[in-house]
Amino acid sequence: MKREAIERLQTTVAYVVLGFLLLLVLFPFYWMTITSFKTEDQMRSLVSMFWPAPFVVENYTQLLTKTDFAIWYRNSAAVAISSTLVATAIGTIGAYALARLRFLGRAFLSSATLITYLVPPSILFIPLYAQIRTMGLADSLAGLIAAYPSFTVPFVTWLLMGYFGSIPEELEEAAMIDGATRFGAFRRIILPLAAPGVLAAGLFAFTQAWNEFLYALVFISDVKQRTLPVGLSTFITGDVYGWGYLMAGAVLTTLPVIVVYTYLQRYMVEGLTAGSVKG
Amino acid sequence: MATVAQLPVERARAPRPRAGLRRRLGADWHLGYLFVLPMAIMVIALVAYPFCYAAYLSLTRKYVGVPPVFVGFENYVRLAYDGFFRRAVWNSFVFTFASVGVKLVLGMVMALVLTSRIRYRSLFTGLLLIPWVAPTVVSALNFLWIFDASLGVLNYLLVKVFRILPQGVGWLSEAGTAMASVIFVNVWRGFPFFGISFLAGLKAIPGELYEAASVDGANIVQRFRHVTLPSLRNIIIVVMLLSTIWTFNDFAIVYILTKGGPGGATQVLPVFTYEMAFGAQRLGEAIAVALYMLPALAMVIIVLSRYMRRSHAR
Repeated sequence: MKREAIERLQTTVAYVVLGFLLLLVLFPFYWMTITSFKTEDQMRSLVSMFWPAPFVVENYTQLLTKTDFAIWYRNSAAVAISSTLVATAIGTIGAYALARLRFLGRAFLSSATLITYLVPPSILFIPLYAQIRTMGLADSLAGLIAAYPSFTVPFVTWLLMGYFGSIPEELEEAAMIDGATRFGAFRRIILPLAAPGVLAAGLFAFTQAWNEFLYALVFISDVKQRTLPVGLSTFITGDVYGWGYLMAGAVLTTLPVIVVYTYLQRYMVEGLTAGSVKG
Repeated sequence: MATVAQLPVERARAPRPRAGLRRRLGADWHLGYLFVLPMAIMVIALVAYPFCYAAYLSLTRKYVGVPPVFVGFENYVRLAYDGFFRRAVWNSFVFTFASVGVKLVLGMVMALVLTSRIRYRSLFTGLLLIPWVAPTVVSALNFLWIFDASLGVLNYLLVKVFRILPQGVGWLSEAGTAMASVIFVNVWRGFPFFGISFLAGLKAIPGELYEAASVDGANIVQRFRHVTLPSLRNIIIVVMLLSTIWTFNDFAIVYILTKGGPGGATQVLPVFTYEMAFGAQRLGEAIAVALYMLPALAMVIIVLSRYMRRSHAR
């Protein structure tokens, strides 16, 4: 009896704390969403605070027709997808080599990968900017596509090293006894088995590239070449009139990440990514 | 005829040097080097070389578009006496330690709640993770709007709905509240990462440990102290060190919310570096700012990478 009462108390406390955490976490997203459906008048006169009445979509139409938002969206997609494909390809073969193959310098390269992953962008952004300029890629999306692998490659590699390590080595050995070369075993046995992990790592890299702010802010000055995070941040110009379409833009910028993430949640909860997503 | 006669000899000899290479470079050196080559080129071109160039630039007087002039440690010495720089260092430490500390507590609370007997656990876990995956810029802009002094919902709630305050507070524009506000946003964004990492660790603790502790008469607090905490020790260390690096170098939140203001009250090193480089156009000094913390950062990275490699190998 007493034990049951204690357990019930514990569960109640857990639900109360959970409710508080959910409120804390979700309120800003709720607020962002309803703001995007409010008129300027509603915002300025503090009416219909918690549910817009009337409920308008003009912020979205304005955003898409009167600003460069659609261009930025395309830019972000182009940069995130291209840099992710490059990083995933490089990272996958690199991770396989570091996790499985025996060669001189492997331990050193593994450490170097991890250290590269841990070096923060705030130290690298000025020299990287100089580098991108000398490569003639300043102020272009190509510059960002070239720069983003500096954080996505070490990340994908580190993540997949663990993933390849968890695939039993015997599978490869059996294939090689049957006459497959090392490369053949990798391509026909290991790669298909690792496909879900490679996809997950690629999607994580995609969200990082999609969310990236500092490099995009520094490397790009042409308005038409901006990516979403930088473009959105330039909507703050001090007047209150921007909040409606700013929040509409914020909603549209968050959506792809949320979609990708519903697939990735499983991997995050399993701790595959402990220390993964950079922030 | 001569060539034919030589062939078998060459065949017999050829494997020898290769066997030597195999012994020296490892059994899979062909494919190994081929596979790491793109990665190595990329790391050298985009991280190692720029980093070394940066270290050199920090020893020069360098303006955008003008060749650098070597000045030795002048930038570092000047910064040591620069009040704005020292303030940014202090603010960065306050920002980092306060954020990491609160994230640790909230993350632990989140993990414990999610392992207790509740329904729809995976749905709630997913919802609580959203701040960690949402774009940081979006979150910062959300809070810029929430904290807005005249039209923001926080003041509306505190003044009009709950009547806790007589009038609104300029959360981001007053020196007394600006630092706490940016710390709050960093905590909001980062604590789910602590929570999810601790959750993975908690699931790995064998239930028998708790049962044994219960049999020995340990109450819930004692079980937490003597079973949970020791089992999570490595994860706690890794997560705290990772978060220390990320928080210390967080640019977007402070840049968007306050740009370091009001009057430098929230000026942290990454924003200070950015402004010195692209506002004042003093690249050499800006890099010196970024590299000042390198010894401390390197220490954290070395310790952290030891722990991470160990848990990777397991």
